[in-house]
Amino acid sequence: MTRPWRRFLRNRLAQAGLLLLFLYLLGALFAPFLAPYSPYSQDLRSTYIPPLAGLSLRGPGGEWGLWVSPAFRHPLEGVQVRWEEKYPVRFLVRGEAWSWLGVRGELHLFGVEGPARLYLLGTDEQGRDLFSRILYGIPISLSIGLVAVGIGLLLGTPLGALPAYLGGRWDLLAQRLVDILLAFPGILLAIVLVAILGPGLLNGMIAVGIAAVPIYARLVRGVVLSLKSLDYVEAARALGASHARVLLRHILPNALTPLLIQTSLQMAIAILFAAGLGFLGLGARPPEPEWGLMLARGREYLAVAPHVATFPGLAIVGLVLAFNLLGDALRDALDPRSR
Amino acid sequence: MTAYLLRRILIALPTLLGVVVLVFLMVRLAPGDPAVLLAGEFATPETLEAIRARYGLDRGLPEQFLIYLEALLRGDLGESARSRRPVLEELKTYFPNTLELASAAILVAVLTGIPLGVLAALRPGSGLDLSVMVLALLGVSMPVFWFGLLAILIFSVGLGWFPVAGKGTLAHLVLPAITLGINATALLARMTRGTLLEVLSQDYIRTARAKGLAERVVIFKHALRNALIPVVTVVGLEFGTLLSGAVITETIFAWPGLGQLLVGSILARDYPVVQGAVLLVAISFVLINLLVDLLYAAIDPRVRYD
Repeated sequence: MTRPWRRFLRNRLAQAGLLLLFLYLLGALFAPFLAPYSPYSQDLRSTYIPPLAGLSLRGPGGEWGLWVSPAFRHPLEGVQVRWEEKYPVRFLVRGEAWSWLGVRGELHLFGVEGPARLYLLGTDEQGRDLFSRILYGIPISLSIGLVAVGIGLLLGTPLGALPAYLGGRWDLLAQRLVDILLAFPGILLAIVLVAILGPGLLNGMIAVGIAAVPIYARLVRGVVLSLKSLDYVEAARALGASHARVLLRHILPNALTPLLIQTSLQMAIAILFAAGLGFLGLGARPPEPEWGLMLARGREYLAVAPHVATFPGLAIVGLVLAFNLLGDALRDALDPRSR
Repeated sequence: MTAYLLRRILIALPTLLGVVVLVFLMVRLAPGDPAVLLAGEFATPETLEAIRARYGLDRGLPEQFLIYLEALLRGDLGESARSRRPVLEELKTYFPNTLELASAAILVAVLTGIPLGVLAALRPGSGLDLSVMVLALLGVSMPVFWFGLLAILIFSVGLGWFPVAGKGTLAHLVLPAITLGINATALLARMTRGTLLEVLSQDYIRTARAKGLAERVVIFKHALRNALIPVVTVVGLEFGTLLSGAVITETIFAWPGLGQLLVGSILARDYPVVQGAVLLVAISFVLINLLVDLLYAAIDPRVRYD
């Protein structure tokens, strides 16, 4: 491994970011196993149940352990727990059947034996388990980030590289185009695109991706401009390398480091923007367990059930923080100017 | 300088025109009949016919654009499909509220972000530096809507210090301004720390110290003045970004601004208002960028444009 990479891995921030990201990936990969319930299974008798409601450490005979009593919402008196009933929490139990990434199963890490449910993070407005929904939300947010950043990279790199390399009129034209896209600050460009494409999860991803295009284009343009008149590029041309070869083999590899740093930070922004669209009702549609959308739902009963808005937000902060930590650490390790 | 000024303004013109083209195309690119998008879903056949005639929707795109542009230059942005009021009137009602919110937010960001960044840079590696940096990292990682809801939960619902939502007294402005400004605050703290650290390692600072100047003079007269030059640019750009960030903040706090108008109009498919609101924010942003560039050229003696 080269020195910058070793420096990166020794960086505390990088380690924290990698650990966080690893936990999220683990959660996404094993979501149906880690989640005790399906993200869609609702129970209208137990809406807005607070976290850990009905949990006790002593069983019906006074024995120690984890026991759950049924919790439900009384129309007038609020949350009620039938303490006289107690059911044991078991690990590695059979529960609701799931199908995930081509694998079928019904095993869950934990569950309650009997007619009670353990709500680790409480329930939402339809009595769905928030913990399960947040877990199932990880792959949604990660894929939003990946698709969006993929679009940004795929369209932004050529838009930045080609005109800058060709120069003249092409560069001027591309620059104006980038300027026009950048005239819509922050999340506004994504909102404009959603207004054109129509709301929805996929359209939201595309919108956030296109919003990243001018940022990548500007970045790559800077790199190409700074290199294209250097001697080594001219030498490559003189040796008979085609323009395509010069651009792809001699110039663009130099953009990899800044692109990598930008991509990590851009993942963070894409996840934030997509959650923002979900929150505004312009992204994912119900009943999708998308964090921004879940948060928006929690807003209506903020005073009664603050957990519904709090936990999805925490999930967003963690994932965004992971990418920001990685991006910062990458910049510290790889960017020669920051040393 | 004058030449630079003129050139910079000339460059902004095609951008502005491009923004208008994109906003014009919005309605033409969206699936569905543009006439329906402009008149609203519940428009009568007569209204649809009137809209078609007014915008020349049966003609080619270039001609339609000229009709749109001509109306725009007269200040005619069409009519809201929901309220039937002229879009310009709607914008005049809502935009000042957004400006008020964004100004308060940028004030919060400047008054807290820059001092925090300076404090961190003066003691690099200290506990204070570390906590400022961690807070700043959290600040840029936090969704505005989550921070806003937590703020409501703690300070309005819990402590009862501020009203939950709406606009009216100064107390109504506090939470939305802090919420909207949180990302900018974090960004400014990081930026100020970074540039100040860089400036402090320059030779002329060592010279200033070596000739026995008081540390206070070195920091404030020599270092900070130079370090703040790029920060000024960021403050300007952030103000523009806040105009669009207000979309979410206004939704949380039911702040009657442009953002709330925009989101409501998108959800109700009221396209004339969507177009107007987007156009207004984008044009403001381009003009702010222009001002920032000119300001930058004016305050940084190293910058010579020709």
